[in-house]
Amino acid sequence: MKLIEALPTVLSCRNLSKSFRGSHKQETVVLADINLEICKGTFVTILGQSGGGKSTLLKLLGGFLPSSSGKVLFNGHPLKGNTPDIGMIFQDHNLYPWMAVEQNVGFGFKIKGEKPGKYKHLVHEILDTVGLFHARKLYPHQLSGGMRQRVAIARSIVVKPTVLLLDEPFSALDVQLRRRLQEFLLALWSEMNTTMILVTHNVEEAILLGQNLVVVGDSPGRIVEEVQISDAQYRDRYHPDFLRLQRYLESVLEGTSKEQENGCCEEILAIPRIQRN
Amino acid sequence: MICGMFSCFVLICIWELVGFNPANPLTQVLPPPSKFLPVLFESDFKIGLGSQSTSIYQSVFVTLFRVFAGMTIAFLAAIVCGMLISLSEWAELFILPVLGVIAPIAPIAWVPLALVVFGISNLTAIFIVFMGVFFTLTIATVAEIKRIPENLLITARNLAGNRFNVWRMVVMPAVLPSVFTLLRLNFIAAWMAVLAAEMTGLRDGLGSVVMTGRNLFNSNLILLGICIIGISGFAVDRLLLLIQRKFFWWKV
Repeated sequence: MKLIEALPTVLSCRNLSKSFRGSHKQETVVLADINLEICKGTFVTILGQSGGGKSTLLKLLGGFLPSSSGKVLFNGHPLKGNTPDIGMIFQDHNLYPWMAVEQNVGFGFKIKGEKPGKYKHLVHEILDTVGLFHARKLYPHQLSGGMRQRVAIARSIVVKPTVLLLDEPFSALDVQLRRRLQEFLLALWSEMNTTMILVTHNVEEAILLGQNLVVVGDSPGRIVEEVQISDAQYRDRYHPDFLRLQRYLESVLEGTSKEQENGCCEEILAIPRIQRN
Repeated sequence: MICGMFSCFVLICIWELVGFNPANPLTQVLPPPSKFLPVLFESDFKIGLGSQSTSIYQSVFVTLFRVFAGMTIAFLAAIVCGMLISLSEWAELFILPVLGVIAPIAPIAWVPLALVVFGISNLTAIFIVFMGVFFTLTIATVAEIKRIPENLLITARNLAGNRFNVWRMVVMPAVLPSVFTLLRLNFIAAWMAVLAAEMTGLRDGLGSVVMTGRNLFNSNLILLGICIIGISGFAVDRLLLLIQRKFFWWKV
């Protein structure tokens, strides 16, 4: 487990807000006053209810959307639009159906005009890592849902981004497959030095994967809780501490947590709350 | 395929049965295949009179060449134009309505104009096929580009693709299958347009075989021409389907 305190900040946002203009020129505030700091090499999960603005937050962090106010800093510099250093994986795998697996994975190099001879070994290496070397000649429609998502992950990480954003990548998969891919993602993260930010509405997934867990409340989206979970018991979904935290976060999401105001994480669950200066 | 062949066989049998009685007046207008097919062998696969006669292969080839040339040019031009139009909102606002007005004009309506401009030549037929296909395909290309899932484009841009490469490697392959499907569907219109042009203005091709039959009051020749038109059209449609399955099989 990486020591979060000792790591430099890679991505941060200050007073970030986002609003959209509706059809009747009404402003709908989706996110308000978001302050967040993400350290290099950490795994951050953003938990929130569907439609609560967590995907919008992810797109703002990746520079895919401009903010209405506030700013996003990437390595200390304001983020102006998307950069290849910040990769993104969507709920839908978004593989190109006319390309075989190895072409999809090597697409990041090809689109930059690099010769296949230069990157082929990297593609094969990463396919080996994600366990899909044998399927390199297959097309996306010939793969299962889990394999497609692994190809999408391989395509994003082969270009070695500093930060990888994952927008509910496993939500369309069945429970068994989702669990296998969660383990796979954790193993991959431990192996690489990539900062991962995963958005999910699944409390169990958020605890299981995240080192830093950020809860976004809705209408408008605000950060309502931030916890640091670095102990091993939070990698075991049947551990009593895991279940207590899960129950607590569910009550936070539903807005029924009574302990939240009193620093529940620290006092009751013995989990440190993230401190801000 | 087997069911289709069986249906054709049944149809031919009924046709032969009806045409079996020479006293039946219908036989004079609609001679059965056993009557009109021998015409082909008797005339050594040539149709027409004296030095004006052309071989049936040549007629089929000429018509197919015109249709394929017109459709290929229209397909490529529609892809390029559709992409250029979708690059700018202004182009969409100003150019698309004009295409929308021209698209419903029946290709046959362009025949007199084409004859004046290009004369009696292959260019006339190619132009008519082009006019029958191009506008619909361009409108479809613009619509298909808009239908591409946004995340496919975001992913390409995220991987540092410049605008040209994103168009070349993502937008174009994403729209090709559906535009090609539409081309296949429009083939029937193009086929009819070129035959109409051959019947009205041009002197060769399958359309002119039917017109020669009419001029000679020869029902056998008319029906022979009609059958060749039907079989060739069907064969081309199957060929296009094969190309679609082989080269443009994916769905976005």
